Amino acid sequence: MNTVGILLRQRLRRDRWQLAAWVLGVGLLALFAAAAIAQTFGNDADRAQILALAIATPAILMLRGLPEGSPVGAFTYFSVFAFLALLATLIHGAIANILMALAVTVGFIIGKLDAGGSLCAGVAVGAVGLSFLGVGLVAAQFMRTSRGANGTAAALVVAAYIVRGIGDAASTAGSDPLHRVAGWPSWLSPIGWGQQTGAFVRNNYAPLAINVSFAAACAAAVFALQARRDTGASMLPVRAGRADARASLRTSLALGWRLQWPSIAGWSAAGAATGLLAGSLANILQAAGGGNTSLLNAVRSIVPGTTQTPTQLIIAAMFSVVGVLAAACATQAVIRLRQEEVRGTAEAVLAAPVHRVRWFADYLVLGLVAVVLVLLAAGVASAASGLAAGAGGTVVGDSFAAAAAQLPAALVYLAVVSLLFVLVPEATVAAGWGLLVLGMILGIYGGMVGLPQWARNISPFQHTPVPFGVNTQWAGGIWMLVIAAVVVAAATLLMGRRPLHSG
Amino acid sequence: MNDVIETRGLVKRFGTVTALDGLDLVVAAGQIHGFLGPNGAGKSTTIRILLGLARGDAGTATVFGAHPWTDAVALHRRIAYVPGDVSLWPNLTGGEAIDLVSRLRGGTADKPGYAARKARLMEAFELDPAKKGRTYSKGNRQKVALVAAFATEAQLYILDEPTSGLDPLMGAVFEQEIGRVAAAGATVLLSSHILSEVEQLCGKVSIIRAGQCVETGTLDSLRHLTRTEVSFAADGLGPAQLAAIPAAHDVSVSGGRVRFTADSDQLNAVLPVLATLNVAGLTINPPSLEELFLRHYGDGAAPGGAS
Repeated sequence: MNTVGILLRQRLRRDRWQLAAWVLGVGLLALFAAAAIAQTFGNDADRAQILALAIATPAILMLRGLPEGSPVGAFTYFSVFAFLALLATLIHGAIANILMALAVTVGFIIGKLDAGGSLCAGVAVGAVGLSFLGVGLVAAQFMRTSRGANGTAAALVVAAYIVRGIGDAASTAGSDPLHRVAGWPSWLSPIGWGQQTGAFVRNNYAPLAINVSFAAACAAAVFALQARRDTGASMLPVRAGRADARASLRTSLALGWRLQWPSIAGWSAAGAATGLLAGSLANILQAAGGGNTSLLNAVRSIVPGTTQTPTQLIIAAMFSVVGVLAAACATQAVIRLRQEEVRGTAEAVLAAPVHRVRWFADYLVLGLVAVVLVLLAAGVASAASGLAAGAGGTVVGDSFAAAAAQLPAALVYLAVVSLLFVLVPEATVAAGWGLLVLGMILGIYGGMVGLPQWARNISPFQHTPVPFGVNTQWAGGIWMLVIAAVVVAAATLLMGRRPLHSG
Repeated sequence: MNDVIETRGLVKRFGTVTALDGLDLVVAAGQIHGFLGPNGAGKSTTIRILLGLARGDAGTATVFGAHPWTDAVALHRRIAYVPGDVSLWPNLTGGEAIDLVSRLRGGTADKPGYAARKARLMEAFELDPAKKGRTYSKGNRQKVALVAAFATEAQLYILDEPTSGLDPLMGAVFEQEIGRVAAAGATVLLSSHILSEVEQLCGKVSIIRAGQCVETGTLDSLRHLTRTEVSFAADGLGPAQLAAIPAAHDVSVSGGRVRFTADSDQLNAVLPVLATLNVAGLTINPPSLEELFLRHYGDGAAPGGAS
């Protein structure tokens, strides 16, 4: 037992900051969600109205889960459980999941929700996390590399989310109009089991027994496999690759594309999904009429400026999410530079006849291409889904205008993170993502939680133009483009003098 | 200008640590130049400066008479480089990495010629090019870098401990390749701490310690600084007889054998005396770099004391 104790302590020591950040972040998310919902949808009628709208929209049920009535606790659980469960799948270890369950419980209780329901919600999140801990361990047995195991486990998480989404979208009417009963596919997913607790309404812990049994079965399978497997070997053989490179792989730009296209495709898919939702939601909102003022106000708190139609309002709101995706994609493109440098593979390129400024510029060009692809995917998806839902021809122009408006903020991130890379390489990764999260909180959620305007103005997203309505403020976008250009120019100039920092 | 590499008083500091402390290094065209020193002596730092990946804080460095930082791109067309710790892209196969580096260096213009060179090296080094970078062992990563370096012609090969992780068989293949490029007139800077490898390959050697060059010259000239080791069976030989051997240093008797060292140019005076003693089981070991190395890095050796 002593050995286990030492291994456990070493593991906790290795992961303590990451773990603390995750647990704290999830707890805060639960708290913010509870607080924001209490503030934005203060009365029962508002919540009932939104739920009616959500129930009419299978896409929302697919993303969020199933509503079980309009009391504030049930409504909050409906709003955030699926996301909290997703976050819980990302951490590893039984202790980590217990801590996360506690964090969610405490977050909800501080957010003035019912204690019994909060505990049930927390335990449900922890139980889902525990199930996927089992999935991850089994995946690790089958795959040769941790990257392969992580990829497989992530794919299974997504599959579980989608299976639950299909079941929820196919749900049937429950005891009253605001209750839904899940379709059978939801019962195939660990996330679905967690949802069946009906926290705050029924507080039924029984479905979580399936989560725990599932985790136990996975653990048993791992022990059985471990006994038959050599350390370092895997159950599945490793596939061979190409012996020669494709003819196109001959420049540092081509290498950058080769390394990055999977993640660019991922961000673009996320952009397309958001665009899809924007187009279809816009039409539903239009059909629901302008009477739903509390919803419109909630959306309005996200979107700066004034806009004309509810359709445009929802498109603008959804595209602010697309803007964050594009900025994240730009940030990641620059972070790749740093990863190449730290890994030592940048040295192989720079010891060949490739100028260091050229190498740097190649990744900025790729970042720009990636941002444009994300925005295009979102614009096309929004226009297509809007048209399919019968929103009328203006949705096409609106979608592309909203997509184009996101470009300046994303380019500011591309520029600023690239300057970080040149001046403070060690901080590139942490500061890059940190700035993105900060910008998102200040610029997009700042209005919801009532932050003062000067704080919100720090975020580039706050200055993203809303290309609808009578008095569109283009100045913010133009200024951001100018800032991005100046910062990139400075970074490029300084890159000419920068040695390689592999440490 | 006959010197391919020339550094004068090269200084490089990392914060408070001085990695290079006035390094002088001259490598003439066509040489295979051994660059010896223990870990942390500054070998890799020197190489990074010569490649324009880092800049010196003081002193000068030139490669082919040009500045390694400002003329990096032009110089790199003439240089092949193998790092000591090879990193590969985890998702690219070894074959892809070799093709990419060769193409970046412009060495694939003659396609059939390049394909033939690559195939020959792949076979000689017994490298499987279809494996992903993340699955190679250290030795195999090293082979990928070596094949990439030798698959395109270069005028200067800068090799930073290139055989670390290779088994002796592959070490022999490596020595063959070095012989081939040297015969073609290329210059080689071979950083190493494997003495036998340097002894076998290098015409000239520079030894660095704590960022300074403490010894440089041909192997022969350096051997004059060392002593030959002599040993034979101790049967029936008393202390008085041993004391009569001229020019013997550090005489010791252990395990039934007598050992001593003698200055290499004094050996001719020693041999007749050994003949009169009628010694059995005589072995005479020529001076090795090992000994030279230990003289500079062993206990109490002062940096720069012998240069």
